[in-house]
Amino acid sequence: MTIAVNAVTKRFGHFLALTDVNLTIPEGELVALLGPSGSGKTTLLRIIAGLETPDAGTIHFHGHDATTRAARDRQVGFVFQHYALFRHLTVYDNIAFGLRVIPRRLRPSRPAIDQKVRSLLQLVQLDWLASHYPSQLSGGQRQRVALARALAVEPRVMLLDEPFGALDAKVRLELRRWLRRLHDELHVTSVFVTHDQEEALEVADRVVVMNEGRIEQVGTAEEVYEQPANPFVYRFLGNVNLFHGRVHGGRVQIGSIHLDTPEHSGIQDTPAEGYVRPHDIEVDRTAPPAAIGVTVEEIRPVGPVVRLILIRQDGGGRIEAELSRDRHRELRPQKGERLFIRLKQLRLFLKDHRQTPPAP
Amino acid sequence: MARSTLNEPAFIRLTLITAALGFLGLFLFVPLAALLTEALRKGLAAYLAALEEPDALSAIRLTLLTAAIAVPLNLLFGIAAAWAVAKFEFAGKQILITLIDLPFAVSPVISGLIWVLLFGLQGWAGPWLAAHNIKVIFAVPGLVLAIIFVTVPFVARELIPLMQEQGAEEEEAALVLGASGLQTFLRVTLPNIKWGVLYGVVLCNARAMGEFGAVSVVSGHIRGMTTTLPLHVEILYNEYQFAAAFAVASLLALLALVTLATKQCVEWGAMRRTGGGRAAERGESP
Repeated sequence: MTIAVNAVTKRFGHFLALTDVNLTIPEGELVALLGPSGSGKTTLLRIIAGLETPDAGTIHFHGHDATTRAARDRQVGFVFQHYALFRHLTVYDNIAFGLRVIPRRLRPSRPAIDQKVRSLLQLVQLDWLASHYPSQLSGGQRQRVALARALAVEPRVMLLDEPFGALDAKVRLELRRWLRRLHDELHVTSVFVTHDQEEALEVADRVVVMNEGRIEQVGTAEEVYEQPANPFVYRFLGNVNLFHGRVHGGRVQIGSIHLDTPEHSGIQDTPAEGYVRPHDIEVDRTAPPAAIGVTVEEIRPVGPVVRLILIRQDGGGRIEAELSRDRHRELRPQKGERLFIRLKQLRLFLKDHRQTPPAP
Repeated sequence: MARSTLNEPAFIRLTLITAALGFLGLFLFVPLAALLTEALRKGLAAYLAALEEPDALSAIRLTLLTAAIAVPLNLLFGIAAAWAVAKFEFAGKQILITLIDLPFAVSPVISGLIWVLLFGLQGWAGPWLAAHNIKVIFAVPGLVLAIIFVTVPFVARELIPLMQEQGAEEEEAALVLGASGLQTFLRVTLPNIKWGVLYGVVLCNARAMGEFGAVSVVSGHIRGMTTTLPLHVEILYNEYQFAAAFAVASLLALLALVTLATKQCVEWGAMRRTGGGRAAERGESP
């Protein structure tokens, strides 16, 4: 089912949670709402579920206006951040809940409900815990029960609020890959909220980046990471280095170096900010053309990469660069050593402009 | 687990335990023992006679009747108020919470007097009631009103923190799963608060049966008509029928003991249900 969010605005007291949000979620996709806390992503999810009503704007399900439809009539599955399992019911009864509250004339027969619950328990690999209570389960198990419970009523949309937020790193990783596989099996249109960019980029077909109640960018994981629409998206998705410079006639000056920036050829003498990801910085002993001289301040091996903290010799502050283990072994930089860096990929945003055309 | 860090010297522990038990003994057990001794001073036959006397029986009946009206009403009100306070945001919520506490804050005498001021012969509605031959003050309706007022906070106070701690997420989950408002209440909210409800009812009932001050003001002390058990004890005592007074008082003491025992059972029940689960629910181990 497609979901269309049209010009939705929501405020809580004086706090503007959502401002004129427009979004279309195509049938069968797994979409991530990604943003820092307070960006309005959970509010948007709850409005889609019918747990909040928008102050302005509409929600359409499959082309039909569902703005005033009650949550119980929307046929959505909702997975809460803290699971919200019924604590007085067993795992089995939790999953059966949605089927047992259906009006009697529409309700499936007892054996049909039993069969459905058993198959869901198998789907989430928890059949051996059917008679346990939620308090006896681990976080990951509870999350899977919550998913099974939501799936029991065969929702047309699955909505997940920070589904892995309360889990530890290893379980998160396993569960989110499992969720992706599950989505590929079931193909239910799904929206999940997260503040973890890695989670969003890895799991989602499409990422919606939100900030301060607005949508900053919508795109595939690759698009939002490779071609961020604005400095916020750039900063939010991964580490960045910021370079201040001036654009003049198709060239940008950053400290002592000049780089070509053909897409800004018509712009005269305008301040700009350049963003470079740590892994897009090449570090070497000999100076390539347009190189910036740096001094090594710190060397930190972090798992598969080695992070270098470098100080620009032209007084532009600190830079973070990432070397692969191999490159690090090859170069063997020393603390305090003078090296050169080259910017493999730089994205320029003119000051006082939110949007610039994407870099080639 | 705290034993290693809180290992006080033996004599301090002994002193503290002795002090606590001594205090309890002096102020709780000695009076209780004295009460029973006094009640049985003239023998078991006199004891039973004091309870079988028509005025005593009438007082027992009236006490049960008023509690049977007041407790269910306050149960309904308590659940409704706690539900409203815990699950919804609305203007005046703080005022409602304060109002629920009001009966705890004012003297029971005032709680009785307000009804006299409202419905007494010289009160606001007094002349109208008198003209229609409806008796509120110095009659059973007045007693019920006074008892309801005094016991308003018990169920609500018990449930508000409980429901606030539980939040509204489970109810939201039920709604999204297609449950109606009534189904959500019966299948999700009520099972989660049932021990709290029971606990509140037990306390509410104890107070409803034992209330003296407010009841005393509106009762008029008409023997066999408007005297509840506590008032009956007072009347007997004032008439120097000490053995009878203590015999009837022992009924109230028995009520207190039953209340405490029930309360303990309810707590055990509640703990067994969520036992250990509370802690595990907070610790987010996978």
